[in-house]
Amino acid sequence: MPYFSCFSGDSRGMTTSVDTALLPFKPTTKHRQKLLLPRVSYLTLVTDKVKKHFLKVMRAEDVEEMWFEYEGTPLKWHYPIGVLFDLHASNNVLPWSITVHFKNFPDHDLLHCPSNSVIEAHFMSSIKEADALKHKSQVVNDMQKKDHKQLWMGLQNDKFDQFWAMNRKLMEYPTEDGGFRYIPFRIYQTMSDRPFIQKLFRPVSPEGSAHSLGDLLKEMYPDAITNDGEQKRYQVVIHGIEPLLETPLQWLSEHLSHPDNFLHICVIPVPTD
Amino acid sequence: GEVPSLLSAPPSAVRAAERWLDLGGGSGEEGSEEGYLRKTALRSVTLDSESAQKQEGSGSDSEPHTSCPSSVEPHGQEGEQPDCIKDDTDDDDAGICTVTESSSQVLQFEYHILYSCSYSSPVLYFRAFTLEGRSLSLEEVWSSVHPNFRLRLQNSPLNTITQQEHPLLGQPFFVLHPCRTEEFMRPVLQVAQDQHRPVNYVLSWLSVVGPVVGLDVPLKYSTLVHPASSVSSTEPD
Repeated sequence: MPYFSCFSGDSRGMTTSVDTALLPFKPTTKHRQKLLLPRVSYLTLVTDKVKKHFLKVMRAEDVEEMWFEYEGTPLKWHYPIGVLFDLHASNNVLPWSITVHFKNFPDHDLLHCPSNSVIEAHFMSSIKEADALKHKSQVVNDMQKKDHKQLWMGLQNDKFDQFWAMNRKLMEYPTEDGGFRYIPFRIYQTMSDRPFIQKLFRPVSPEGSAHSLGDLLKEMYPDAITNDGEQKRYQVVIHGIEPLLETPLQWLSEHLSHPDNFLHICVIPVPTD
Repeated sequence: GEVPSLLSAPPSAVRAAERWLDLGGGSGEEGSEEGYLRKTALRSVTLDSESAQKQEGSGSDSEPHTSCPSSVEPHGQEGEQPDCIKDDTDDDDAGICTVTESSSQVLQFEYHILYSCSYSSPVLYFRAFTLEGRSLSLEEVWSSVHPNFRLRLQNSPLNTITQQEHPLLGQPFFVLHPCRTEEFMRPVLQVAQDQHRPVNYVLSWLSVVGPVVGLDVPLKYSTLVHPASSVSSTEPD
């Protein structure tokens, strides 16, 4: 079965260079590709080279919709790549070995991704939902179509400045409010079937004090927090790092959100060795 | 016999054999506030081979959903070619329905109603399978939507059907986007307020959006009022 392995992209900025190394192959042997994947992008957006490569060596009738799997788990292309890595593979040895499939698409598990416009629609829908939470949709609705397009093109073409020229508007808030209306976040874990936790949560308490990451977890996922005297069971990971639980949530939302404007938080068991 | 619907859905090529499950209750994981309403239905559906492709992009503004076709259409015989249906309420849609080769099959539809806290509105998730368990594709789902509704959806690109992950189950579902929910619900709520009648918001909403994807709300449910879920204003918080 053909598969490719890749290095996790770093978490700075939006880009890494794509470095493809073709190993010598015979049609019947395993075929490996190496890619550097950006944390903030989506699998189906950055794997055109992989698809093209395998299309060259496979018969057309053997090629249906491409999908990815890691250790038996179909990978959800609509999650940012960094989230998939932190959730499934962060405590394993690099490079991250992903298996690519061209048959038997698991349509009970994965959304279809027939074209880049589906990825764009999904990305924009996340941005809009985030703004509904932050600003009652006022900022995103005030933008023109071309501004929305600029957000997407910035992500797709890896143009940090182009993206941020628009995105900074989505990060503003009235000074007197002290933060957004609600914080767009999702907490992921693999200990249960529930894909994520997403609820309403304000960045500032009614008394006016800033809520922290710890406050969010206490409310949404108390198991993730280690109490005094207990052994640490879980890591709380954003972009591959464990921020201090005292970090203000508003700050995290402004600085560690993904391009889709959501804070994606992974709760993973502490490695046992 | 047929259960009369609160808002008639006119598809003459669709007949529903419905079993209501779990309406009015919640089924979900950690407590009823995280639950959802669920209904499965077997529908005999004609998928036209000339299924409408959703048109990308839009120049014009989308229409608010303030009305749905109100004419009651007789249900056709299974296997009969679909009638040309005129929508009396909207001259623009003087509908020419292409008569095509089509096959009728029984599909299992599953509908979930969830509440989006981001948008403060209910959202309709659904999926469909053949009796052998094969999932329907988006194109097939589109072709099962009655041509009248399909035309309206195509002209209102914000009111569209896409595939999304179910937030509690993590599986692919189709979603009818809750765009302009407030706009089309406002008249409903206003009328009820004027008449000093309590309103079951979710049922009213469902009776508007449900028929688009084949979910009819039987009349008997329209008279059920759950005090806990009645609201008299649109804006929470």
